[in-house]
Amino acid sequence: MTFHPQPQAGQPKPWAFPAPDRSTLPNGLTVLTCHRPGQKVVAAEVSLAAPLAAEPDGLDGVATIMARAFSEGTDKHSAEEFAAELERAGATLDAHADHPGVRLSLEVPASRLAKGLGLLADALRAPAFPDSEVERLVGNRLDEIPHELANPGRRAAMALSADLFPATDRASRPRQGTEDTIKRIDAAAVRAFYEAHVRPATATAVIVGDLEGVDLGAIIADTLGAWTGNTAEPKPLPPVTADDHGRVVIVDRPGAVQTQLLIGRIGPDRHDRVWPAQVLGTYCLGGTLTSRLDRVLREEKGYTYGVRAFAQVLRSNADGTGAAMLAISGSVATEVTGPALEDTWTVLRTLAAEGLTDAERDVAVQNLVGVAPLKYETAAAVADTLADQVEQGLPDDYQAQQYARLAETGTVEATAAVVNAFPVDRLVTVLVGDAAQIEEPVRALGIGEVRVIKGV
Amino acid sequence: MGQTATPQAGSGGLTATEHRLSNGLRLILSEDHLTPVAAVCLWYDVGSRHESEDRTGLAHLFEHLMFQGSAQVKGNGHFELVQGAGGSLNGTTSFERTNYFETMPTHQLELALWLEADRMGSLLEALDQENLDNQRDVVKNERRQRYDNVPYGTAFEKLTAMVFPEGHPYHHTPIGSMEHLSAATLEDAQAFFRTYYAPSNAVLAVVGDIDPEQTLAWVEKYFGSIPNHEGKQPPRDGSLPDVLGAEQRVVIEEEVPSRALMAAYRLPEDGTREADAADLALTALGGGESSRLYNRLIRRDRLAVGAGFGMLRLAGAPSLGWLDVKASGGVEIPDIEAAVDEELKRFAEEGPSPEELERAQAQLEREWLDRLATVGGRADELCRYAVLFGDPQLALSATERILSITAEEVQAVAKERLRPDNRAALVYEPTEPSESTEDENEEGADQ
Repeated sequence: MTFHPQPQAGQPKPWAFPAPDRSTLPNGLTVLTCHRPGQKVVAAEVSLAAPLAAEPDGLDGVATIMARAFSEGTDKHSAEEFAAELERAGATLDAHADHPGVRLSLEVPASRLAKGLGLLADALRAPAFPDSEVERLVGNRLDEIPHELANPGRRAAMALSADLFPATDRASRPRQGTEDTIKRIDAAAVRAFYEAHVRPATATAVIVGDLEGVDLGAIIADTLGAWTGNTAEPKPLPPVTADDHGRVVIVDRPGAVQTQLLIGRIGPDRHDRVWPAQVLGTYCLGGTLTSRLDRVLREEKGYTYGVRAFAQVLRSNADGTGAAMLAISGSVATEVTGPALEDTWTVLRTLAAEGLTDAERDVAVQNLVGVAPLKYETAAAVADTLADQVEQGLPDDYQAQQYARLAETGTVEATAAVVNAFPVDRLVTVLVGDAAQIEEPVRALGIGEVRVIKGV
Repeated sequence: MGQTATPQAGSGGLTATEHRLSNGLRLILSEDHLTPVAAVCLWYDVGSRHESEDRTGLAHLFEHLMFQGSAQVKGNGHFELVQGAGGSLNGTTSFERTNYFETMPTHQLELALWLEADRMGSLLEALDQENLDNQRDVVKNERRQRYDNVPYGTAFEKLTAMVFPEGHPYHHTPIGSMEHLSAATLEDAQAFFRTYYAPSNAVLAVVGDIDPEQTLAWVEKYFGSIPNHEGKQPPRDGSLPDVLGAEQRVVIEEEVPSRALMAAYRLPEDGTREADAADLALTALGGGESSRLYNRLIRRDRLAVGAGFGMLRLAGAPSLGWLDVKASGGVEIPDIEAAVDEELKRFAEEGPSPEELERAQAQLEREWLDRLATVGGRADELCRYAVLFGDPQLALSATERILSITAEEVQAVAKERLRPDNRAALVYEPTEPSESTEDENEEGADQ
């Protein structure tokens, strides 16, 4: 074979994160639209200001049940008919409740957009919330809980939230409720939550896709435009606080062949100027298999299939009182749990002592900025990011600006941000694994007090 | 030997041209200038079906080794260079093929071609015992994370082994066994490369914002001098009777969160109208919230927390129809089974209603549009049809074929295949959480 030198890059072509058109309907609904040529499956995201913190005491999970009950019939269709009509349009409709609010995500071929948006609007405007269907959803939700508890990743996330946040904060408890709270939910509770928190004036619809030849204005007016409600302002989200003194919680799973790691705390969200530097530094720490953590834990030691570091916005306010969850996550073979944690701490200490290199920073910027056109190829990806921005109180051009800010961020700033994000003495470590095998080696590391809790 | 680039009806305006290098490498090009990105996808016609029975998992382990460097690419350079160029990448291994793919910003396309050519031509220059040992451990952890440490995680492996008998090339799944992963040697990996990683055993697709002439020139430049090598044997014969002949059933007592009924059915091979008809039947029966099983098991009888059908399309052996029902608290498996059997029987007797067929076709059509929405998805489908069926153009008319299937065809396949005597069933009965502190995993001592 004839070898040739590595080719040089060609001339980059310009690409920018799309700027949406923003408008407000007479009913108060904010609408963002964005034409993406070639994207034949249109994505519509509706964001409702119905945060988990608004759930009444003792009814954790009512937002989740409401979200699911949106597709259980309207004033035009029974539950079964509604599901059938959606599928006839080739559409999917997902709804879920999270800390910032409830999100409905519709995907439908552009040729059937009017039909799909019509069903989505009916669900928002006139949900039937039938007693029997809500009762079924409650039963179904109760049945799901043991499955979640058996999933190591989900179990770790629940244990971390319970330990990190004060018990009074909704964020300390499972997003979709517990057996005790779910059991108390009925159609009346769902209806009451809907009446209190779902109205067009505090909602935003984002519609993205190939909209050529689509009379979008008329379709929106006929569908989402028919939704009515009062114009009361939403309540602001409560600020986020957490106790991140260094400690270890082992969730015991006798016989587990791997230990699920989740090492976390809270830190700045997108309203903080440090965000781009934190994104950059966190990528260098654990964004991919050539980042610092996987270089050692995977590619040198073979302890894991992969460990990632990330920042995920939890609740975010324009006033800056929100926060992101900062975490390192992955699973390692049971017998190397102690050594894997020791290596993780060594990676963090070395990073704090020596900082990132310019080469690391450059590669990270080139990746994070360079992948944008790939990452936002589909309508759904664009719609999701635009809806996140709305939920977090960010301007519509936030993501577009983010790329410019990332490119301007230097090695020193990125180092400072990631070292502040992951200080070795202020991390809560959750280990879901076989306590009999991992407890002693973990204690010996001296990374904080160690507590063992029952797995189920 | 370019082919015509006129769009076919139903292809959504997409076209593809085909070329072949003198060393046998097949190339497919498809232009789309809407976004400044280009996908490179390389399918090698080798999967777990080509493995010998004492080296299961070798194709997948080998896929990992493809990211460990080659003559001009040091260490993790493949990942570093692609990601540093703003690209994304990965590789996957299935029963029937191994694929490698990069999506790049347009101006970095040439780099991806250079990288793929370097490892196709010179992987063995960098492959050593240290890489093998490290990636063996990584793959064992992949197995633990995805299968062994997850409730019901080994169901797929167990059912596959029931549907495809001992000695059949699809009897084992691509992840392989811990024992065989431990046994794989450097010589095994070298021989695997020499046998299967030949230009004539691969199809390369480049899709997106490309200049076809320039791209063809780059492919000639980087791949054209890689010598071809023959020696690949066809995989063992995968043909089997259409139906199992008698129900197979295994009861598993394990620490799982709820009872479950999982089952696999032998279905027609991919690439046939019957396979498309089977896909529609499974969609109508268990493909969504208006499906018969959802309405019966979840909505009306409230027997299950989740119930659905999926299809694993296979070209060299019967495809698999995949049933997964997780019981609602306290519900017994015979009640679930009776309801499932009744729904399948009724469907076989009456076929889909016009509305059901319309819904199932609309769902599968949207799934196709989703797959073709990215240049990477399109490149993968073009490779799939080229490798498995010899004609990439078939990817562009797949939707049309789905929409041409009749209710009679759907009913016929349901009648012939979705029968109790064509089912391998796995019944999960939960046990109490174990208090034992023993590690029952036999590979635990390896590390």
